[in-house]
Amino acid sequence: MSWIKRKWTASEADRWTKEDYLVFVISPLIYFLLAIGTMLSLFLLWYGWVILAASLVLLLVMIWIIDPKLKAISLDYEQKQKHYLEDLEKIERWEE
Amino acid sequence: MVHFAFLDWFWVIAFVILMTICGILFYNLGKRSMADFFLAGRGLPWWLPATSVYATHTATDTPIWVSGVIYQYGLRGIWYTFFSAWCAISAFASTRIFRRSLAYTQAEWQTLRFSGVGAEMLRGWIAGWQVFMNMFILGWVGMAMGKLCNYLFGWPQWIGLITFSTICAVYVLAAGYWGVVMSDFQQGVIAFLVIAIVSFWEIGVAGGPHGIIAKLDALGESWRLNPFAFSGLTSGDFPLVWFLTMLVIAVIGGFGMGTAIDWYPEAQRIQSAKTVRDASYSIWSGTALIIVRNALWAVAILGFFAMYPQIKETAQYEMAWYRLGFEYLPVGMVGLFFAAIVAIHLSTISAHLNLGASYATRDLYHHYFKPKASERELVWVGRISTLILLLGSFLYGSMMKEITQWLIFALWIMAAGIWLPSILQVVWWRFNSWGYLSSWIANLGLSWLIVWVLPEFRVIPVLPDYLQFWIMMILGSLIYFPVTFLTRPENMDRLVKYYVMSRPIGWWKPVRKEAERRGLLDAEVKAAEGGS
Repeated sequence: MSWIKRKWTASEADRWTKEDYLVFVISPLIYFLLAIGTMLSLFLLWYGWVILAASLVLLLVMIWIIDPKLKAISLDYEQKQKHYLEDLEKIERWEE
Repeated sequence: MVHFAFLDWFWVIAFVILMTICGILFYNLGKRSMADFFLAGRGLPWWLPATSVYATHTATDTPIWVSGVIYQYGLRGIWYTFFSAWCAISAFASTRIFRRSLAYTQAEWQTLRFSGVGAEMLRGWIAGWQVFMNMFILGWVGMAMGKLCNYLFGWPQWIGLITFSTICAVYVLAAGYWGVVMSDFQQGVIAFLVIAIVSFWEIGVAGGPHGIIAKLDALGESWRLNPFAFSGLTSGDFPLVWFLTMLVIAVIGGFGMGTAIDWYPEAQRIQSAKTVRDASYSIWSGTALIIVRNALWAVAILGFFAMYPQIKETAQYEMAWYRLGFEYLPVGMVGLFFAAIVAIHLSTISAHLNLGASYATRDLYHHYFKPKASERELVWVGRISTLILLLGSFLYGSMMKEITQWLIFALWIMAAGIWLPSILQVVWWRFNSWGYLSSWIANLGLSWLIVWVLPEFRVIPVLPDYLQFWIMMILGSLIYFPVTFLTRPENMDRLVKYYVMSRPIGWWKPVRKEAERRGLLDAEVKAAEGGS
């Protein structure tokens, strides 16, 4: 599945890419299926279990797609955070 | 009235002591600085703010609200609770952007995104509004506890309102957000387990899954099992257009900040996460737990309907989940059930006490009154603000009667006119502080006009809520778009700084170009974005 990028440099990960847009579609779908699947499974209806299973599979797919990118963003950003926080406090204290 | 045996009281007292001690234990961490008192030092792994998201949004009034919509509409009523799905997109869009801004609060973010007098006015307005809203939420959640204690023990409502909020204030005053998030973890676990156990028990009492289905069949009410049993495209009590409107509001709203009233407590949890990744996962998974919880409740409440299908009074059927628990659980379990209710109550109260105090301290006191205040002083201001919020909530709580009516007003109407502007401020560089400010002012006027005043004077009929939303959105846009275009864009220095730090999604090309020109973006990104 090379269509999905799984190795990111920090600067590449800062861009909004198709991986993000895919997750914007999958993520609400998971919630939607999770709500219906849980209710119908509790009534022991077979299609409830199928829907619930589909939501869990989609959850794994979503994490597989977005996790490498989130890791890259986080790693890079945490290195800059100290400087940004100092800047923020200057604004807060009307020093800038 | 419910009879409590020794074992029941044992559970309640043990849990209250445990929760309070758990909060107070973090006193030394909470007092270190304002960042500790309000954000736990920005160092939490994702699962701590996640349980806090879940626990905060599981309050004593939540099963009352969910019981009301499920009893009335059947399983399709679950969509009334689906507004929380804004986190689906937010977790990977606005959460990421907000976490990178490092703003303590949404009010502070306004002065990072916008500049000048307009930004300061927005910050002051949102901070003041949030102090009020948190007091208001504390009042209505507290009053739900008052009602419950009245139902259970026959106590006057004010006793339930004051007693538990005061117990909770002890650890919020001592340890701030450290106390909130650590006790939330414990309360969230207890609450989820007990909600699951009690709901399964209730489903059993109602005849089990097959028994409930058979009873609904016999009553001619099997449509209640269908989550998509719409009453028509635009007609009836549950039209398809309402459902579609809800989906748009909930899902697309995730691109914005402040599109739902839950954004504000979530914003605090986002900033308390130790990385951008932790922030995203905390918001997503906390909301997933909320969705599972609502589904559990829905089935148990449908079981209640199968047992008692004739209840007409809202105040009666709103108590469905509580009634099943207190009337059918065995001795000893009732106390465990009540202890879990106390847990969900304390988690909500503690979160809103600390959140309201953060706006009062960071945005009002520190930013406007005493910018040079020491960390020690700011922690004390946080504590005093917490105390004022607590006392104010008692006043508001004693003024509220109909929980559902207030909740529908707050969830639906108060956010309607600012829904689109709250997205635009995130995704469109040209949207400025005057546009956003005017949308707030327009919404305040329009919501009262469209919902209350004009129908009262028979100028317009009483409109269905989905229509109110679209009308307010269109009328509001006739005000804030001209205001935006008739006033200057934000200062480019501020926009560039914000862009480089937060990397917002959407239409930011002129700002990106300027950032490139100043050499503030990496060469690799420049090359990649040059073609976009």
